[in-house]
Amino acid sequence: MMQGLLYGIRRFPLDLKNSDLFLLFLSIVLAVSAITGVTFLGDRLRLSIKQQAAVVLAADVTLRSTAPIGAKYLSIATGEELNTAETISFLSMTLHDGNNVLSSIKATTPRYPLRGKLKLVDFDGQATGKSIGTPMRGNVWVEQSLINQLKLSKGDAITIGNERFAVSAILDDFPDRNDGFLAFAPTVIANIDDLDAMGVIQPGSRVVYRQLFSGGEKQIETFVNKLQSLPAEVRIQRIENIGQQLGRTLDRSNRFFSLAGLVTIIIAAIAAMISARRYAMRHIFNCSLMKIFGATQGFVLSSLIGQLVLMTLLATLLGVGVGWLIQYILVDLIKGIIDSDLPNPSLQPIWIALLTSSCLIIGTVAPYLQQLRISQPIRVLRNDLKLNYKSSFFINAAAIFALVFFLSILFADFSLVSTIIIGLFLVGLSLFCLGALMVKCCSFFENQTGIGWKLGLKNISKRRGESILHLVVFGLSLMALMVLTETRSDLINSWKQSLSEETPNHFFFNIQGSQLDGIADFLSPRIGQAIKFTPLIRGRLVEVNNGSNQVTDSGRMIEREANITWYDQLPENNSIVAGEWWGKEGESMQAVSVDEGVAESLSIGVGDQLTFNAGGMDLEVTVTSLRRIKWETFQPNFIFVLSPMVASELPQSFITSINIPEENDQLVDEFLSRYPTVTSIDLNSALNQIKTILNKASLAVQYMFLLALLAGALTLLATIFASADQRRYESALLHTIGAKRSKIFQSIATEFFAIGIGAGLTAAIGAVFISGFLSTQIFELNYSPNILVLTGGLIFGAICIGCVGMLAVREAVYAPPLLTLRDP
Amino acid sequence: MKTPILKAKNITKEVNSPEGVLTIVSDINLSVHQGQAISIVGPSGSGKTSLLAILAGLDLPSKGEVWLADQEITGLDEDARAQIRGEKVGFVFQSFHLLPKLSAVDNVMLPLEIKGDKQAKERALKALTRVGLQKRASHLPNQLSGGEKQRVAIARAFVTKPTILFADEPTGNLDKASSESVGELLFSINQESGTTLILVTHDPVLAGRCELTHQLDEGRIK
Repeated sequence: MMQGLLYGIRRFPLDLKNSDLFLLFLSIVLAVSAITGVTFLGDRLRLSIKQQAAVVLAADVTLRSTAPIGAKYLSIATGEELNTAETISFLSMTLHDGNNVLSSIKATTPRYPLRGKLKLVDFDGQATGKSIGTPMRGNVWVEQSLINQLKLSKGDAITIGNERFAVSAILDDFPDRNDGFLAFAPTVIANIDDLDAMGVIQPGSRVVYRQLFSGGEKQIETFVNKLQSLPAEVRIQRIENIGQQLGRTLDRSNRFFSLAGLVTIIIAAIAAMISARRYAMRHIFNCSLMKIFGATQGFVLSSLIGQLVLMTLLATLLGVGVGWLIQYILVDLIKGIIDSDLPNPSLQPIWIALLTSSCLIIGTVAPYLQQLRISQPIRVLRNDLKLNYKSSFFINAAAIFALVFFLSILFADFSLVSTIIIGLFLVGLSLFCLGALMVKCCSFFENQTGIGWKLGLKNISKRRGESILHLVVFGLSLMALMVLTETRSDLINSWKQSLSEETPNHFFFNIQGSQLDGIADFLSPRIGQAIKFTPLIRGRLVEVNNGSNQVTDSGRMIEREANITWYDQLPENNSIVAGEWWGKEGESMQAVSVDEGVAESLSIGVGDQLTFNAGGMDLEVTVTSLRRIKWETFQPNFIFVLSPMVASELPQSFITSINIPEENDQLVDEFLSRYPTVTSIDLNSALNQIKTILNKASLAVQYMFLLALLAGALTLLATIFASADQRRYESALLHTIGAKRSKIFQSIATEFFAIGIGAGLTAAIGAVFISGFLSTQIFELNYSPNILVLTGGLIFGAICIGCVGMLAVREAVYAPPLLTLRDP
Repeated sequence: MKTPILKAKNITKEVNSPEGVLTIVSDINLSVHQGQAISIVGPSGSGKTSLLAILAGLDLPSKGEVWLADQEITGLDEDARAQIRGEKVGFVFQSFHLLPKLSAVDNVMLPLEIKGDKQAKERALKALTRVGLQKRASHLPNQLSGGEKQRVAIARAFVTKPTILFADEPTGNLDKASSESVGELLFSINQESGTTLILVTHDPVLAGRCELTHQLDEGRIK
């Protein structure tokens, strides 16, 4: 055994130089690169979502209340060695030189913010270099919009309540910007110790008290577990609940990376299968000859295992290196959108890579090892060096299935992996049937055409097994690439659409019914859009099914005041997932429609009774539908939508979202001065931030796609080499008996183009179904077949496969036939 | 009386074919003594190569026994037969059967490496020198002529100092001049080393150089 092992290892460099083992090596490298790239990337994206969400909160966890929270939780946090900070926010008038502006005052402690950074500049626009802290007592930091509105200049002071404050810096950016009702007004950051001196917080004042916590994941978890029984008015916010838009986008791109990684691995596995087959075919002769010279089965097996283990280790090492490089590039992209350094990646991807490469090698080569081990030496004398197809096909299939099973555990995305497996299986089966049919048809047509065509078609029917295998392999690879191309286009298009130039960048609310016509008349001609108003009712969900059934209120939805609306028609970005929309019957129905996520967390289903308190009365309504909401549309979206009968007469204000081009920004000032009671939220900075993330994510998607394309190219390359030997010999033979080169080319072209068209056609049909399913069910996108991708894929596939076939024997066709025939 | 180095008793080989059971060789008996050179001749399809394969332990007969160096090899499994081949048997084939990606010296080294010989390279180079190809040691098979390839194959066959050498049409793929020089080389090394030679050939001149010639026709020795 040991001798065989050493012999195999000694021969390894020479065998690696040969194309068959080298292609197998490359296939493994590519698969490992894909898996490590995706694993690393998955970690990074999850981290970046966390980082981004943490910036939105300025902490890892916050407690938020409209009443003072008390020091109890701060002392628990200190016990857990967490960092803490506090903010107290409220609206107040700021005054200067006879001007006054309603401002959002945020009083902070010196360690604010715990996550993210403050960006402060002086009146000359120079950064102050301070990224954390609170102003010195008697000082404030204010936003540029307040400077403009109050016409402040260097050295000026503003008055808040009873106290005057020197404006010591301009607040360029800060975390936790969008903090509910306070976000619309220009922000002023003050020292928390100056609050009493201001004297503006009175009983009944609307104030938001926040306690901020940050620290290690375990400490945070322990801390949160200790907060189980919070009073109703205290809301806990964790980074997991934040940034739905961001989370969904990155979740989708993460899923796309998984899909691309999966497709790359599957195509690389196909390439490995082809290379392994050729490796085995070549080694049948070698092994039989070695046995003639006295090699035992153990010697043969151990020499092969020695080579394969060495190759697997090297390929894994190189693959992990390439994977690292991929993650390095992608992390570099992500770094642009997050501020803090990412922790070093763990060693886990290396084990995953080793497992992948081992699975791949066992799946593709192991079936042949047994054949090589027991190959009879007499085969050399008989010149019988064929592989047993049938036995290896089923072992291959079983091994690949095992690999996919492993991948589904690895990717932890059963729906994605199962869709791919079922799709591949069905398309593989269709291709197999089509292949068998094609072989039959070819044997029928081969007697009715010219010599070139005849030879080509004859080749298809003569090499029945190989032709069907080619069709299945090409078809599956093409389909995988088509699916990936389609999904990539759909994903990027949906991102572009969700953040087009027309995406609303301003929210206006607190609009009264009497103002609707005036506002529409003012805004509509200036921005060239019709203005849509959405009613806004402040209300509270009080009970589910009259309190008779137990509900899990993880989101603390019950007893919390929430924004509710009513619609007669289903909003554009909503879709019904259970029950029915009321339509015109809403005028006579006591009904409510609920967001599916909240319904799940509250265990609410269609037919349940909900009790709301709004406008000073209790409203009993029946859940008639559950909705899926596209939160990323930047349109007003609501968890609870009441039917017109219930809500149209309740006290309500209105909200609208519109797009105001940045160059037309003064329109907002003009509008607010005309309608001072209306409040506005400027979403431009948030939109820009998300646009940057989407652009980076799109770029990252292209990188992953490139990797899959490389795998596709490798499959074709493997095919060139796999069929080269036999075709080289046959071409030389044909040439010797007088066939012209053009006729030989014609026969090869006929054979491969016929297989290419068959494979392309089946792949395109399969791709429509799989892409459709993936887009609608997995990525939650609209799907319409991309004719360009499908026809392009079909034509490109047929041409590529045809050209590959011709390339495979081009050298042989031009080589002197004697050489090939004398030394096969 | 000396015990024969190779003895075949009632060898029959039958295979299944679409037309029914086909007899390739039938009831063959022969004995070969140490140092003897015998040839097996006969028309194509007469079963020469099948008989050679059975005698060398590459294949098993359907009936009968083969004794090689006092051991009945027909009762052994493939690994045990491989071990005996590695220790006592050398082969030369009509199509040379050199490994295409190995150089001449690497091809000659192959049986030594399988045995775990630590001086495989030195011995292989010496064997190549003996067949006059020391300067072609690093050449790949496709850089050698047919005659040169067969010389490499002869060097590979003798490098392990086998007790018995089986040669299957060793000049079958060569032109006249190469045939003569390869034949000369085969017999001279055979004599030098005292190896027993079992030669299957169509070439009457080559067969004539052996002490004994068996004529095979339709699987039977005449």
